[in-house]
Amino acid sequence: MKRLLPCTALALAALLAALFAGTAIGETSVSPSVVYQVLANHLWQAGYPVDPIDAGIIWNYRLPRTLVAAACGAGLATCGVILQALLRNPLAEPYLLGLSAGASTGAVLVGLLGLGGAALSMSGGAFVGAVAAFALVLMLARAAGPSSNNAQVILAGIAGSQLFNALTAFLITKSATAEQARGILFWLLGNLSGVRWPSVGLAVPVALFGLVVCLWHRRTLDAFTFGADSAASLGIAVRRSQLLLISCAALVTAVMVSIVGAIGFVGLVIPHALRLLLGPGHSRLLPASALGGALFLIAADMLSRTLIPGQVIPVGVVTALIGAPVFALILVSRRGRA
Amino acid sequence: MLPRFATLLAGLSLTGVAHAAATHYPLTVDNCGMPQTFAHAPARAVTIGQAGTEMLYALGLGEKLAGTSLWFNHVLPEYKALNDQVPRLADNDPSFEAVVGKRPELVAVQFEWMVGAQGVVATREQFNELKIPTYLLPSDCEGKDNLVGADGTRLQAFQVDSIYKSVSQLAEIFDVQDRGEALNADLKARLDSARQQLAGKDLSNTSALFWFSSADLDIDPYVAGRQGVADFMLRTLGVRNVVESTEEWPTVGWETIAKANPTWLIIARMDRRRFPADDYQKKLEFLHSDPVTQHMDAVKHNRIIILDADAMQAGIRLFRGLQTLSAAFASGKAAQ
Repeated sequence: MKRLLPCTALALAALLAALFAGTAIGETSVSPSVVYQVLANHLWQAGYPVDPIDAGIIWNYRLPRTLVAAACGAGLATCGVILQALLRNPLAEPYLLGLSAGASTGAVLVGLLGLGGAALSMSGGAFVGAVAAFALVLMLARAAGPSSNNAQVILAGIAGSQLFNALTAFLITKSATAEQARGILFWLLGNLSGVRWPSVGLAVPVALFGLVVCLWHRRTLDAFTFGADSAASLGIAVRRSQLLLISCAALVTAVMVSIVGAIGFVGLVIPHALRLLLGPGHSRLLPASALGGALFLIAADMLSRTLIPGQVIPVGVVTALIGAPVFALILVSRRGRA
Repeated sequence: MLPRFATLLAGLSLTGVAHAAATHYPLTVDNCGMPQTFAHAPARAVTIGQAGTEMLYALGLGEKLAGTSLWFNHVLPEYKALNDQVPRLADNDPSFEAVVGKRPELVAVQFEWMVGAQGVVATREQFNELKIPTYLLPSDCEGKDNLVGADGTRLQAFQVDSIYKSVSQLAEIFDVQDRGEALNADLKARLDSARQQLAGKDLSNTSALFWFSSADLDIDPYVAGRQGVADFMLRTLGVRNVVESTEEWPTVGWETIAKANPTWLIIARMDRRRFPADDYQKKLEFLHSDPVTQHMDAVKHNRIIILDADAMQAGIRLFRGLQTLSAAFASGKAAQ
């Protein structure tokens, strides 16, 4: 416990440094001193004279974008931890429960068929779709057998994903031209370019909420690592905690997907990497994963904006491009030790 | 005897100028690497793509049209009455059977992805098996690889000659070559007048950006890249495109656009309403309200040109678009 304070301070410092870097580095070059001046102007009315376009880019484009990247990374990594612990399956990740497939169907319904009219944006459609898919998967898993059986949940998730992916493909083939399909695919691959301040107000509290709920249940998660039966023998209300934690993960993921699309690899790789480094105890694993996810996604977003000058690569492509080799490296280097 | 012979010769050559030669059938046209043979002038044609449709109307061949498809905007007003008589097979891509069902003797196609190797409607081979010749507008195949990239990839910059070529080849296929020549002369005159209007004006520091649409308003917009039709329009008028990508319609971030700070913004007007940004009013609203774009010079000085999306495609509307742009560039004020 005596290491808690320095660790927290270090984590906060790392996060702040990453946020500053994410704000300072972007598609075009703005000098760090200008970045500082803009931030100072907004945070404590420093009153430096700055070019309004630079000021807008820093404060209204880059800062919200970086904050949302951090929140999404943290949220997705936290969800990955929950699902891997509850389902005791190394392949468990936030999209396992059909959420990304449902989100794409929802977004396509709104984007292509104009469902919901002006009241529902593509993001709104994605959220509704993700929640609908999750509800379907949950019902399917329940109908298929006792909830302590992890395989049922995973199989139900796969069935749900396949169904919604097929629906999406059907809708796109039926009613999209190539250009529209491209717009939607770009969006689905994960894209932070449209993020503005209102998204920050949604993503940051939801990520924090997810983290707090999980930390509250960290002992439960520890117990689940040894299986639902062991958890029950430790006096944990298995069904209730499972439902609560899975729903929490689904909610957080659905919100993130609706803001930035389905960014892969964060929820799968970050928890594994940190479990290999820190061990399975959730009181350390959860905050570490949240921080790791945040830093990872900020870095990936920075790369997505700078890899090809003048053009932005979908951030989901970048997370997979860095995530896969880094993960492979960790797997190989831990061989024989884990 | 000799003078009479000379007059006869002169008379012959004169008619040759006034009336282009009649087409000799069977006619074989090499079209995008696929020779197509016509035993006689097609009596019924189906079009896939608005550019080809309007080109045939402009050639006075409206009564030969048995069906149209793939519409982006309303038809040009002068062809509306005519177009109302022609069945519209589909707003988007038509099915193979809908096209074939009209028993066309020519299918004129605007985009290769409709009938190319991975044709959305069918492949050209499938049409040829049914003895239906296809004509693909050369602007979409010459110097362009349609198997790479979402909208194809131009290997060379778009050449306006490809439009003149499609006009004369379609005119030859239908045996209306004099109309083809007249239409081409009219198009060339429009291009010249657009250029002339800017003669003597120094545009060396003038730049522009074409904004077509965006999947979501705040998201990176689709803008015109370096090789396509929109870029050709700017090059013709001596204005620099701030986008440097060679893709036809790349997505570029607002941050990059705001920093490039083009002199002019050209935004597309279209009837399509798939994305909120398809509506040019929404585009204007965004430009004036976004905390960054509202500070761009073009927005502050209201140098925003609203241009029909079809004028940015390889078709006859391109020439009117050129005139719209040159009028705005010449006056320094946005025309609509």
